Amino acid sequence: MKKLYLFNFFFLFLLGNVLAQNQQDYSNNSTLAQRVKALAAKYPQLVKSKSLTQTIGGRDILMLTIGTGKTEQKPAVVVVGGVEGKHLLGVEMAIGFAEKLMASSTVDSIKTLLDKQTFYVFPNMSPDATEQYFAKAKNERSGNATKTDDDRDGNINEDDSDDLDGNGKITWMRIADPTGKYKLNTDDPRSLLMADATKGEIGKYILLPEGIDNDKDGEFNEDGDGGVAFNKNSSYNFKPFVAGAGEYAVSEKENRALFDWLFDAFNVYAVVTFGPTNNLSTPVTFNAPGVAKRIITSWFEADAKANALVSERYNKITKTKDAPKTQSESGDFSQWGYFHYGRLSFSTPGWWVPKVAPDSARKEKKFNNEDAVASYLRWATGQGITNTFTPWKAVAHPDFPGQTVEVGGLDPFVLINPPYKMVDGIVAKHTDFIIGLAGMAPQLDLINVKTEKVADGLTRVTLKVMNTGDLPTYTKIGDRSYFLKKIVVNVKSNANQTFVSGRKTQTLESIQGKEFKELTWLIKGTGKVTIEAGSPTTGSKSIEVSL
Amino acid sequence: MRKNIILLAAMILCAGILKAQKPENILAAVGTPPNPKVQVSWNRYNDYAAITDICKRLAAAHPNLVKIESMGKSFQGKDLWVVTITDTKVGNADKKPAMYIDGNIHSNEIQGSEFALYTAWYLAEMYASGNKSIMSLLADKTFYIAPTINPDARDNFIHQANTAHSPRTGLIPIDNDRDGTTNEDGFDDLDGDGHIVMMRRKSATGRFKVDPTDNRRMILVGAEEKGEYELLGSEGNDNDGDGFVNEDGEGAYDPNRDWGWNWQPNYIQGGAYKYPFSLPENRAIVDFVMKHPNIAAAQSYHNNGGMILRGPGAIEDVDTYNALDIRVYDALGKKGEEMLPGYKYLVVYKDLYSVFGGELDWFYGGRGIYTFSNELWTGYSMYNKTDGEDSQNQLYTFDKDLLMKDAFVDWHAYKHPLYGDIEIGGFKKTYTRLHPGFLLESDAHRNMAFSVYHAYNTPKLSVGEIEVKDIGGGLTQVTTIVNNERMIPTHSSQDVKNNIEIPDIISLSGGTVVAGMIVTNRDMNFTVEQKLDPTNIKVQNIPGNSFVTVRWLVKGGSKFTVNVNSKKGGLASKSN
Repeated sequence: MKKLYLFNFFFLFLLGNVLAQNQQDYSNNSTLAQRVKALAAKYPQLVKSKSLTQTIGGRDILMLTIGTGKTEQKPAVVVVGGVEGKHLLGVEMAIGFAEKLMASSTVDSIKTLLDKQTFYVFPNMSPDATEQYFAKAKNERSGNATKTDDDRDGNINEDDSDDLDGNGKITWMRIADPTGKYKLNTDDPRSLLMADATKGEIGKYILLPEGIDNDKDGEFNEDGDGGVAFNKNSSYNFKPFVAGAGEYAVSEKENRALFDWLFDAFNVYAVVTFGPTNNLSTPVTFNAPGVAKRIITSWFEADAKANALVSERYNKITKTKDAPKTQSESGDFSQWGYFHYGRLSFSTPGWWVPKVAPDSARKEKKFNNEDAVASYLRWATGQGITNTFTPWKAVAHPDFPGQTVEVGGLDPFVLINPPYKMVDGIVAKHTDFIIGLAGMAPQLDLINVKTEKVADGLTRVTLKVMNTGDLPTYTKIGDRSYFLKKIVVNVKSNANQTFVSGRKTQTLESIQGKEFKELTWLIKGTGKVTIEAGSPTTGSKSIEVSL
Repeated sequence: MRKNIILLAAMILCAGILKAQKPENILAAVGTPPNPKVQVSWNRYNDYAAITDICKRLAAAHPNLVKIESMGKSFQGKDLWVVTITDTKVGNADKKPAMYIDGNIHSNEIQGSEFALYTAWYLAEMYASGNKSIMSLLADKTFYIAPTINPDARDNFIHQANTAHSPRTGLIPIDNDRDGTTNEDGFDDLDGDGHIVMMRRKSATGRFKVDPTDNRRMILVGAEEKGEYELLGSEGNDNDGDGFVNEDGEGAYDPNRDWGWNWQPNYIQGGAYKYPFSLPENRAIVDFVMKHPNIAAAQSYHNNGGMILRGPGAIEDVDTYNALDIRVYDALGKKGEEMLPGYKYLVVYKDLYSVFGGELDWFYGGRGIYTFSNELWTGYSMYNKTDGEDSQNQLYTFDKDLLMKDAFVDWHAYKHPLYGDIEIGGFKKTYTRLHPGFLLESDAHRNMAFSVYHAYNTPKLSVGEIEVKDIGGGLTQVTTIVNNERMIPTHSSQDVKNNIEIPDIISLSGGTVVAGMIVTNRDMNFTVEQKLDPTNIKVQNIPGNSFVTVRWLVKGGSKFTVNVNSKKGGLASKSN
């Protein structure tokens, strides 16, 4: 382990120099495709790339298989980006991980790792949505290009947002109106907060995303171009009849293609998602009633422990802090990774607006209100970021004749995607984390092998099948799922050897990290037998025993 | 192949004999097509090729009534046939209220296909014979009938050695014992007689003995009695040498745990596959159903036990099935109990067992369609009385009394590689869950009639009164009533609650509409105005055996036409 840490320092140093940082902004799909292609071309022995499927929008879902030899037979980590279409950073983190891993593929420890394990990288699961970042009017969107009737009125995509001020960004509009529920934030009047009626506060503004009620149904921008969101369409905690969820779980081509592929990848022991949910800064907590129900809603205790172990490693390696608590939305992918795929599933957004203390030089005061926008603006000021807020400006709005309507507010994307110059550092830290995680992988060893002569020609063989890794060979939740394989222990014997006791072939259930299972056989006969134990998530180990 | 040739020869022979019986020699029995264009024997079971043949012959014989198309392909690439039956000379098939029927989702539950096919055949042939009820039904409604939605494993059940319970699954290989190899240890037809039956062994410690009243039957001995035999399960061997017998056979998932309503993974809901509609057969069906929003009723056929089942499948969905919809279900289900002697109208989660991801729950929960699953065949039919205390015994007496012992493979000796001297015997796969030949047509007919009743009760919309009143100022007030003459609403309350299907649209033409509204109380003049697009009034629902009232204020015109367009209720129109 110590070796790995030493290596990490070296690694960070190395990367700064090796990678040409000529990219200035997040990757659109063609840039991403080029980066994938370049990687596969430069490291043909280590990287295989392919398109898993195409979305309804005609965009490829790219995947990379990184490893050596028979990659499908080695324990594997899955890395997924772009689960949330607004989160461009997740895409960068996933493809960036692949690039940085390859950049150090000649380093001994990485070479060894790539001989032993496989990495499957899916950099962008929402290519239809992320492309909106590059659209003429920048617009946060999660849905793919499936045509959906979000408001279920029989018309499709009839009320999208509109760039009223023509600044190339879909921001916000506030309407001065006595029925409004919002008021200006006294900490920073550029931002609005919900008025708290219980404190006698009075709302003065209606706050809506920038747009016109194109279909005149009283709702604004409620049925825009976005279709089904990848991160709302998984089968765990799926909620039907919600805009963006899909008519039923796993309805979309990209969701199906990924799930089909993953279910057949029996060697996957962990899934790392770069997306909105965060169980790496703070691990999940075990909640006994949640596993006592038929529909399980809590991690099992043993799995929660593994999460805690990995979380500790994450915080140590990435040195990230003050992560806001996240609430997974319904149909979320990373939750699916645990609850339905049955794998250890970890997720982090990678970046969040850092907490900053008031700067007395700028006469800043401590905030009285919790407000992500105000916090962002204060942090951005300190960073010298100036172009992410559109000052409120009055426009004439057809739906509010005679009322004051102002367009402005925080730009789309900026709350969850940092300035691009920060991305490389974030990628480097998270690359180190995934390498650290791989260092915790389940691994089998056959130890304490004992042979005893019980009588002439009758030998008792005893040994321990040990999981020398930190993580379980498979999860507790996967115990009863036929998509996770048991450890098969097979004794290869010859025709003169018979089993008086103990099974020639048997399967073992999961073994926790650093735990073991003792096996014993009584074998009649002489010569040698070979005992082999293995499973797709652990690799296999075999020993020869003389009777 | 040779079997097929013999079959073909037999068919040609039969056809010849039938020709010799001229219509004038026959007196039609009531309620049965007197002289059907397509001859089918309804006292036997059909494999996929035979089903395909019947569907194609129906379509060829009744081009104006029957259309056959493929919904998609099975795992092995077989076409999933769906037969559309309606009077194509009246209206558009896909705009009429429709009933969807499928059979054989569980591959061993094969008679659902014969029941579904019988329904298709009966509707077409009765229409062709001039039966007024069916002609009127097919003018109003469309039937989409998919005889088998699991054709791969149906053929496995029919053509391979099996028990009455195998396979229940489709044929995608599954590693049931999770050892890394698939389907490596299934049943073995040890004696090669084409049947998988039971194995028994003489044993000093056994707890079974031969029933002195019927030597085919094994019974458990009493507490103070000594047994002679032990039972060793279904015919098989430990093919993979892991110490278990028959633990990893064909497939082994459940296509009826694969539907996208409250779907749960296989560690919670045994039989679930990867995700909702991850089985190609079900995916083809869901795509078909989504493309046919006119489906207002659905029926799936299973076996056995004589049940008319509705959801919810799981207690977690109790609130999904709300009181208004349950009233409709109850009315239909109770009628079904009368029509199907020995069948009981039951609720899956409380009367049967818990099911997540079942077909009927998706049809109702996901699409708002009133759906039943019938568990075909009941022991009641053996002696037309409710099962006695010993229904197991009845299986033996019925076989002896009425089936001439055709259902049983007599116990015979066999030398088993693992168990040594054993005996093999037991009921054939075609008994205990499947109808004996002579009862097949009768029960198919009764279930068909239940579906006809269900389909008849899908919405039938009509425009009633059109009242035109001059209210001065150049404005005319047009008030109309749209009736639903049947029990089923255009939108079930599950549908209304979730806006599953778009509203029904009631439109006015003739004159310029300046305002439009739904009249909620005509006497008190309570109305709800629709400001946007008042020409086309959207109503959330037209309830069963009820009506809605709509009003417009119009400039100009005196001749008006009211058009109604409802996805599940069909079209209606009237002019004043």
